[in-house]
Amino acid sequence: MSVEVPLARLLEHPAIWRGRSAARIATVSTGFPALDERLPGHGWPRAGLVEILIARFGIGELRLLMPALTTLTGRTAARWCAWIAPPLEPFAPALAAHGLALERVLVVRTDTPLWAFEQALGSGACDAALAWARRAHLRDIRRLQLATERGRTLGILFRALRAARDSSCAALRLALEPAPHGVRVTLLKSRGGLRGSVELSWPPAVAARGS
Amino acid sequence: MSQLHGITHDLFAELRPESTPAHEPPPLHAPVPVPEPALAREPVPAQGSAPVQAFVPRRAPAVLRGRRPAPHPQPRELWVGACLHDLPLEALGLGRSPRPVAVVELRDRVQCVVAADEHARRHGVRPGMGLAAAMALVPVLETRPRDIRRERRLLERLAHCALGFTPRVSFVPEDGLLLEVKGSLHLFGGAEGLCRAFADACAGAGARPCLALAPTPLAALTAARAGCPLVVTDPAQLVGRLAPLPLSALRWPEDVLERLSRMGVRTIGQALRLPREGFARRFGTAQLDALDRLTGRRPDPRADFRPRERFHARREPAYELEHHDAILETLAPLLRDLERFLQARQCGITQLECLLHHRHAPATRCVLACAAPTASAQRIEALLEERLARLTLPEPVRVCELRSGPLVPLALSSDSLWQSGEHGGGANGESPAFIERLRARLGDEAVYGLRLFGAHRPEMAWRSVAPDEAGVRGADAQRPPWPAFRRPLWLLPVPQRLTEREGRPHHHGPLRLVGGPERIETGWWDGGEVTRDYYVAVDVRGVRLWIFRERSPPHAWFLHGVFG
Repeated sequence: MSVEVPLARLLEHPAIWRGRSAARIATVSTGFPALDERLPGHGWPRAGLVEILIARFGIGELRLLMPALTTLTGRTAARWCAWIAPPLEPFAPALAAHGLALERVLVVRTDTPLWAFEQALGSGACDAALAWARRAHLRDIRRLQLATERGRTLGILFRALRAARDSSCAALRLALEPAPHGVRVTLLKSRGGLRGSVELSWPPAVAARGS
Repeated sequence: MSQLHGITHDLFAELRPESTPAHEPPPLHAPVPVPEPALAREPVPAQGSAPVQAFVPRRAPAVLRGRRPAPHPQPRELWVGACLHDLPLEALGLGRSPRPVAVVELRDRVQCVVAADEHARRHGVRPGMGLAAAMALVPVLETRPRDIRRERRLLERLAHCALGFTPRVSFVPEDGLLLEVKGSLHLFGGAEGLCRAFADACAGAGARPCLALAPTPLAALTAARAGCPLVVTDPAQLVGRLAPLPLSALRWPEDVLERLSRMGVRTIGQALRLPREGFARRFGTAQLDALDRLTGRRPDPRADFRPRERFHARREPAYELEHHDAILETLAPLLRDLERFLQARQCGITQLECLLHHRHAPATRCVLACAAPTASAQRIEALLEERLARLTLPEPVRVCELRSGPLVPLALSSDSLWQSGEHGGGANGESPAFIERLRARLGDEAVYGLRLFGAHRPEMAWRSVAPDEAGVRGADAQRPPWPAFRRPLWLLPVPQRLTEREGRPHHHGPLRLVGGPERIETGWWDGGEVTRDYYVAVDVRGVRLWIFRERSPPHAWFLHGVFG
């Protein structure tokens, strides 16, 4: 115990580079401690592209993001939270019940989601942008990742699970699968984070209804 | 006792306004001898108190100044009042119609005559008369509905004409204009010349106003409204010259005029002779204040008319343009002009129209609408680029033209020290530009915000609104009363009918009900009645769905939401 503290201080020396601590990036907590622990910087990156690969629409991918979106939209100088080409209508009362500040939510309907997504990421007008795109090439992902850095935006791209085979330059890649009381998150790629999977369970109220 | 005495005195005085007994409170204005009307309007300088002599140029020889016998006090201002009695007719271009014509307006569910032309007036048609009465007098009377907007536009046109005579023009609602002309009288050869020149300019615009000139704005306007072409340049003569005008020209409320006329007070002179205190008590301080402004006893500031400015520019390149890059290049200098124009006025625009003229085909219009006023050429150019890229041109472009919408005062803000998103820096600067860019490319409806509405029906509990008015601020509750997990994050735009096997709903396999039922039964009053039992269901792949069963006969199952 007494050894750990000086060691931690020693490791903060700028000349020492370690795999995990190199990623000293601004993050926002996911709201799930088990997931935070595995992510670089203990949270979603404030500026970076996150790919979430889902086996099927509606298995809990939005529920996973709610705590972070609530934090981001609830700040005093919050920027927009853009939803680009969502497959269904985001249900405003439920978003508000989760604590999202609705006045910061912007829904964009478009046939060219990647263009609108890049605009949202690169403009600097959004804190977070969520996009549902049918297909995205490596070149598009690279543009999007650069745009997130330019606009300091958290970009979340939802893709089908089969895209896991393609390479990608997103900062973070997760795969989501349904689990009995929540969702199983597998980290496919994280810069300086841990690999492997973690099973998250929703708060008891949800789980009770789910079982 | 003395108070009582005072009241009786006042009453007495008001009942007989002509008499001014001694020991009374002082009258409004000392009686002023009325000079002969012809003298004041005489343009030729006469011996004595000739008003026009007051307007000799400043650099007049000292001999002339010395010769002038005791000049009367110079008025500080001189106002020309213009009243358009026939504005409703003139606005519709009916100034000279061969047939009797009247403009009518609906007042209290009765069509009333607002203005009638000379033919009709000769037959007894008067403004304020019912249409039925007017038709009885003149069966061939042609009637036209009143158009307030065209009247306003004509008045604005006249105000623009008036700006050619003086920079200080002010608008008097409904049918009047005021011009402060003291400084420009000598340019038009005195009061008469100026009035004549202004009347000519108005006639060119299709109106024949009644003009009057006086040292106070209200006096000039009142004389014009009374139809009396008064020209008074000497403040000392003002009260005397105003005295014979009817009180109705002041446009006081009907009941005040009625009470005054019952007391035998019908002209301005009679009203001025009433004692001040009693007058204020009986007819209100507003009326006393009007009399004071009329005679110049109180200042009467008037708001200046500011012409509505627009930016308008066109450019004709030497060759025809086919590609939108070339068009944008041609427009670039115009946009820079626009930026300078806006910056000089500290204004922005929210609307810009770009017209592309072709050789044969009708011009292509492209209208930009900005979310917030902007004066930045760069931003407008980026928007134009998006719009032009989407445009298909029928023919090559010969002339490019830009027309701005109305100018909006621009509140300038300083840039943030931090980059947006950094250290909590906001995104006020980028935000409108971002939304505009999306709207320019995807259309206005494609970008929206969400707002809550207090309704139990899920499909009625929210609306899409323009991004800037989104949110829950307002009358509605901040958060719905139920806990977060009760409602799905996704809602289907229209409930989707589910198949049913052995009495159980199916959606890619059988559904397992895990929660509910929650009954929503409402909307019977507006035809959108719903009677539903909602359940939470899980499908074979673990997706949580929000489904309902209709309570009315077919008892069908529907999918309405996904918990996500």
